[in-house]
Amino acid sequence: MSTLQFLMDGFSIAFQWQNILFAFVGVLIGTAVGVLPGIGPMSGVALLIPVTATLTAGLPTEAAAASSIILLAGVYYGAMYGGSTTSILLNTPGESSSVVTTLDGYQMAKQGRAGSALSIAAIGSFAAGIISLLGLVLLAKPLSNVALQFGPAEYFSLMLLGLAAVSGLAGKSMTKALMMTVFGLMLGTIGIDAVSGIARFTYDIPVLFSGLEFLTIAVGLFALGEVFKTILERDHEDGTMAKIGRILPTKQDMKESAAPILRGSFLGFFIGVLPGAGATLASFFSYIAEKKISKTPEKFGTGQIAGVAGPESANNAASGGAMIPLLTLGIPGSGTTAILMGAFIMYNIQPGPLLFEDHPQVAWGLIASMFVGNLMLLVLNMPLVKVFAKIIQTPKKYLLPIIIAISFFGVYAVQYTTFDLFLLLACGLLGYLLTKNDFPVAPLVLALVLGPMLENNMRRALTISNGEFSTFVTNPISLVLLVVAVAWLLVPLLLRLKGRTVVLNEEG
Amino acid sequence: MSKTFDRFAGIAFLLIGLLFVIESQRLSESSYGSAVGPDIFPLGLGIFLVLLSLRLLYETFRYQTSAKSGEPVQYIKFVIIFVSALLYIVLLEPLGYVITTFIFLLIAFQTMERGKWIQSIVIALLFSGGVYYFFAEFLGGSLPGFPVF
Repeated sequence: MSTLQFLMDGFSIAFQWQNILFAFVGVLIGTAVGVLPGIGPMSGVALLIPVTATLTAGLPTEAAAASSIILLAGVYYGAMYGGSTTSILLNTPGESSSVVTTLDGYQMAKQGRAGSALSIAAIGSFAAGIISLLGLVLLAKPLSNVALQFGPAEYFSLMLLGLAAVSGLAGKSMTKALMMTVFGLMLGTIGIDAVSGIARFTYDIPVLFSGLEFLTIAVGLFALGEVFKTILERDHEDGTMAKIGRILPTKQDMKESAAPILRGSFLGFFIGVLPGAGATLASFFSYIAEKKISKTPEKFGTGQIAGVAGPESANNAASGGAMIPLLTLGIPGSGTTAILMGAFIMYNIQPGPLLFEDHPQVAWGLIASMFVGNLMLLVLNMPLVKVFAKIIQTPKKYLLPIIIAISFFGVYAVQYTTFDLFLLLACGLLGYLLTKNDFPVAPLVLALVLGPMLENNMRRALTISNGEFSTFVTNPISLVLLVVAVAWLLVPLLLRLKGRTVVLNEEG
Repeated sequence: MSKTFDRFAGIAFLLIGLLFVIESQRLSESSYGSAVGPDIFPLGLGIFLVLLSLRLLYETFRYQTSAKSGEPVQYIKFVIIFVSALLYIVLLEPLGYVITTFIFLLIAFQTMERGKWIQSIVIALLFSGGVYYFFAEFLGGSLPGFPVF
């Protein structure tokens, strides 16, 4: 079957009534997640995994997986739209990839052009979303065909590359990022070993036999960690919100932002495909690029619409691009995609080259639903942006305890043990302490997801080679991947030694 | 960034790494027909974590701590909410979902900000009752509902 045929089948799944509803709920919650400062896409997606699991409980496995992933992906890219709202209106980014949007967006709002800035952000996000989806459609099949040729040694090296890329760019200290990665891998070894059937590090505690639940760890580290942070360090109450005014951009605005949107979309897409470099880097680079290209670079920071259009398109395109390595190779390149991968695995569906063959319903249904979801987001973010702006005023007093209650409910409803709730609370505390002290938690979660697969591929490769570790370097593809992985760790280190500032990817 | 925390974390992770190194030695070395057993991966990770922890400890002697921003930390609120969350877990199964969730939310709302009792009670009641009704009654999920006397 051709790609087009698969895509059409995907649309027939995306247009099932419950999936339209799931996509809608996903992008709606995603926008809210983006708007609410403090809850990022990672905690939003983590928090909703158990909720969707209970919502889809009655469906057959594959349909349940498709519906859940449609909702969760909606939260992911919906958050990218919503993040611009607070940047523009309050000078406070809703999530880290909208940091540069504050530079010109808030200035525009101060000049009474908030409506133009918001609508350009929405239009740019939409264009970027569609462009990155087309890229995904075109690249999905060829890439997964390449990946099908991979043996265990190549896979092992590819996963190492993924881990190295995320650790190399995350956080202020690489030592700490690597420690978190290794710690995540270690947590993944707890439980019954799949190959030999031996219980490792369980100490005869029955709840540990199945290993630590990814879901509990992710919700604890991200969602509860954020909540604890906000309770402990009350964020400064923000200033007054700018008036929105007319929502449609002027012709002049459209003309000035068309090129930045296009450039931002392509730049963001390619940055998104790279593992480790997420939406934050994409928006940052797009801003720099626009400033360099502009004839009047000195005006940037005073309310240039290109400074909103470019980065906002780039961060959305990056989230689309980040889906490519996840779906085709089974390697998540960021914290949020790692959590999405965890959701796939919960439904016993392995993202990777076989996904498109084994579960075309899920893969193409998801891709098609992203077209639908982006359209919904355009509608939600243009006429309804004033309604969403109201979400900012949700009192923290009610919001934070309810997030705790939702995470407790979600974890308990899926796991049904109080052990997981204690673990959840402990992870929340740990997440707060670690993040506060610059230990990035995204690599930990990524490592926890990839760990078992990394180990199995390593052992399969070693079994094939009779225990010769040289198999990883004598195999040419594997060698190239390993060299790139080492370079990914060393280059930022060398740059830092030379005193250059290295752009950090805080979104993870 | 806090030097004390980094040192403490360095030592804690060092111990975790050592624990993995020692404990993975106790796992059987190889299993049927496979050249590598379940011990190699955790052993390698343990060694790597030990090295990284030593590196972190070494780093803490080199960098200057940046001056702390005077962020007020609200320990009391946090401790109240954290302890009530612990009690929530302990009492969840004996007392049931609706009662424990309602009480937890009410305490947490009032801890965050005093006052507006009626609003707090209504929201807590709507959430705990709503979630229970929707999940247990409508979706047929299992939650400990109410205490059995």
